[in-house]
Amino acid sequence: MPSADLGILDLPHGARPDPDEFIRAAMRWHFDPQTGSPFWLELAPGLGFDPLSDVKTLADLSLFPDVAGRMRDVRIRDLIPQGYGSRPPIAGVFESGGTTGGPKRVVVLEDWFERLLAWSDANLDAHGFGCGTDWLGLVPTGPHFVGEFFRRSAARRGGLAFAVDLDPRWVKKLIASGRGADAGGYAEHLIAQAVDVLRTQQIGVLAVTPPLMERLAADEELAVLIDERVGGIRWGGTQMDPDSRAMYRAEVFPNVALCGNYGSTMMLGVAGERPGLGEQDPCVFEPLAPWVTFSVVDPQTRLPVAYGERGRVVVSHVSRSFLLPNSLERDLATRIRPHEDFPGGDWVADIAPVAVFEDERVIEGVY
Amino acid sequence: MAAPPPGSGEPYVVPALGACGSYRARVRIPVADVAGRTLAELSQVPPLFVDRSLRAQRRAEPVPAEERAALFARAAELFATGEPDGWTVQRYQHHVSRVGGLPIAEVRASTAAVARRLTAVADSAGRARPVGTLEAADTGAALRTPGPGLAEGRAVWARRGELFAVHAAGNHPGTHTYWPEALALGYRVAVRPSSRDPFTPFRLISALRAAGLPDALATLLPTAHEHAETLLRGADLAMVYGGEEVARRYGGDAGVLIQGPGRSKILVTADCDWREHLDVIAGSVADHAGTGCVNATAVFVEGDAAALCEALAERLAALPSLPPEDDKAVLPVQPAASARAVAAHLERTARNARPWLGADTVVDELGDGSAVLRPAVHQVEDPGDPALRTELPFPCVWVAPWTRDAGLAPLRESLVLTALTRDSALAARLLDEPSIANLYIGPYPTHLIAPGLPHDGFLGEFLMRSKSTRISNM
Repeated sequence: MPSADLGILDLPHGARPDPDEFIRAAMRWHFDPQTGSPFWLELAPGLGFDPLSDVKTLADLSLFPDVAGRMRDVRIRDLIPQGYGSRPPIAGVFESGGTTGGPKRVVVLEDWFERLLAWSDANLDAHGFGCGTDWLGLVPTGPHFVGEFFRRSAARRGGLAFAVDLDPRWVKKLIASGRGADAGGYAEHLIAQAVDVLRTQQIGVLAVTPPLMERLAADEELAVLIDERVGGIRWGGTQMDPDSRAMYRAEVFPNVALCGNYGSTMMLGVAGERPGLGEQDPCVFEPLAPWVTFSVVDPQTRLPVAYGERGRVVVSHVSRSFLLPNSLERDLATRIRPHEDFPGGDWVADIAPVAVFEDERVIEGVY
Repeated sequence: MAAPPPGSGEPYVVPALGACGSYRARVRIPVADVAGRTLAELSQVPPLFVDRSLRAQRRAEPVPAEERAALFARAAELFATGEPDGWTVQRYQHHVSRVGGLPIAEVRASTAAVARRLTAVADSAGRARPVGTLEAADTGAALRTPGPGLAEGRAVWARRGELFAVHAAGNHPGTHTYWPEALALGYRVAVRPSSRDPFTPFRLISALRAAGLPDALATLLPTAHEHAETLLRGADLAMVYGGEEVARRYGGDAGVLIQGPGRSKILVTADCDWREHLDVIAGSVADHAGTGCVNATAVFVEGDAAALCEALAERLAALPSLPPEDDKAVLPVQPAASARAVAAHLERTARNARPWLGADTVVDELGDGSAVLRPAVHQVEDPGDPALRTELPFPCVWVAPWTRDAGLAPLRESLVLTALTRDSALAARLLDEPSIANLYIGPYPTHLIAPGLPHDGFLGEFLMRSKSTRISNM
């Protein structure tokens, strides 16, 4: 199936292809009428540039329009590169949280999932997570990528996966309609199920979102149980503020290895926390470059901000199985210069949602 | 601790004062003065911190009742003259004035008031105690040697909870004179400061700690707006300052004491000549820079409203526009953009009113990005005009005619009503009116404060209850 001269797209885990060479190969694959996806082949004539001749470097991905919004209504099969033949190895169709507008959908093929898992596995090793222990997941399930990622991560490391159903859209709906108490009730319902598993099973790894981690920590007895029994906590799904992270490490779960993931549907995966960060270091996330790359930009100009400055995250996913370059995420991050041994876009730190400023309208009163 | 050495160039960071000590958060917001210059940074702790701190507070024991008075007196001294926050009192006052836009003289007076009230806090807290109960401070002693009181059965004045949360106000440092009563009653207290004045509760709690109050008994937990609920959920009882919206949100919650809109008013009946009391009326509107809930927002006059407006406008127009740190400043200052927004809001509200000092003269820019909010006086025809309910953070008053036919309706929902009247039947009806919290009959300004006169009921009415207790000598 894959043509021999595009082997750079399939280098084994651990290999670090030259990013620019990698991008050129990917363009040849995705914009070849024989192998590209119907979606991109249809868009190509209207792009205003020729991906084959004009996209020569990683930076040139910024030529692409941001088509993430199209993932809301595109026929999902049109996203699969035709080069995979009539029976492409599908890992699943996954959807975004659907915070703004309808959910966005992507399709993940097995070869990409395998690459991501191999890389994530190494990241967990580097963070001191053990193998052969069982996992408990308190992460979005159903159509959400992170649930499947959790199951496969556990299986790959020889663990059983205990899961709790979690529908994040319902929670968001409750909060948006002012039913905060109901959202709290739902969270308690999730925690109660998790507690049962934690008390009856030997859980070595916990995969959890920061808001639910906060609820687990609020039960002191439970927090002690987790600190004693669980070897590692992989958190992700939403951001964690730096003060909470420091407190978890120093006070709440001092005996547990913590590893953050920064993921999004548009990335088709996650970026992993750099291992070995110090107490005062920001939480730096490194993507699986050059397959997934970040830039941190000024949202107005779309130009990169300086290293150390805050900006909006732009994600590009470029693999043999999928192409989604240049999507502007909702998140703010600090732009971090990557280690010279790991070329390919920026690293990002201290992810936070775009600040929503309190309404400037005058509220009557004196306080 | 909090303060970097002077001249080090580092920003002054207001830390959280958690149950286990002071904490400089990694996440901080700038605290800017009225001209937009950042004077300090305020730590913003996450819910995890709030939650753990509250939990530790719950485990703490109150200071023995007999030691409290001395501790509060020491803290009052430190607050007024020491450097518990790393600042001299002058520097503290300057920052409160520059950030909140409150005249410096007002801040100085408030410093003295906070200290005075803190010294007497055990006494003022005790004034709420029903005469039929045994004092909580006595209970321990009574239990050790059950005398005739408890042996026969008595009501004991006891706490309704252990942990009291305060969503503090930022309009005036004087608002921090009330919550220490909770400490005096044996509560553990957690204060979420306003970003408009984090300095006063920081200085006050620092002073209490320096005077010997264990960290876990009073905490300062600055959080982002969206995490404010965490504090309320984690406490037994709470006090929340805010406007109409806050009043609506927590109105149904018996565990939340709302310090809502004041809508303080003045009534002048025909048997009194307002000309003799112009000082009281103008002072009620504009004293303390007109920023308090006890400042009058409406004046009802049985007689010639226009004449009163004219005289009041003339009096208030004479107040000078000065930067807040000027010794002679008497009017509030805000960033120019917010001042303009306030004026625009006033203009919309006053569409049907006759301006004596109108929205167009409210904003007086000082040239450094800040603006004085100058007094406004409007006349309306109908005592039921909704504009009369408009309370804004500067001297802004609405004047309406009042008639016997209009009755009590326009006078309802008042934190304070000053009635200049000789009509004792009317006075009796006003005293009976449940939605008037404080009533002064005669030439007293609406902002009258004196020992024994609670601001909005005694805090103890909310924090305590009478618990039937009988102990046998088994």
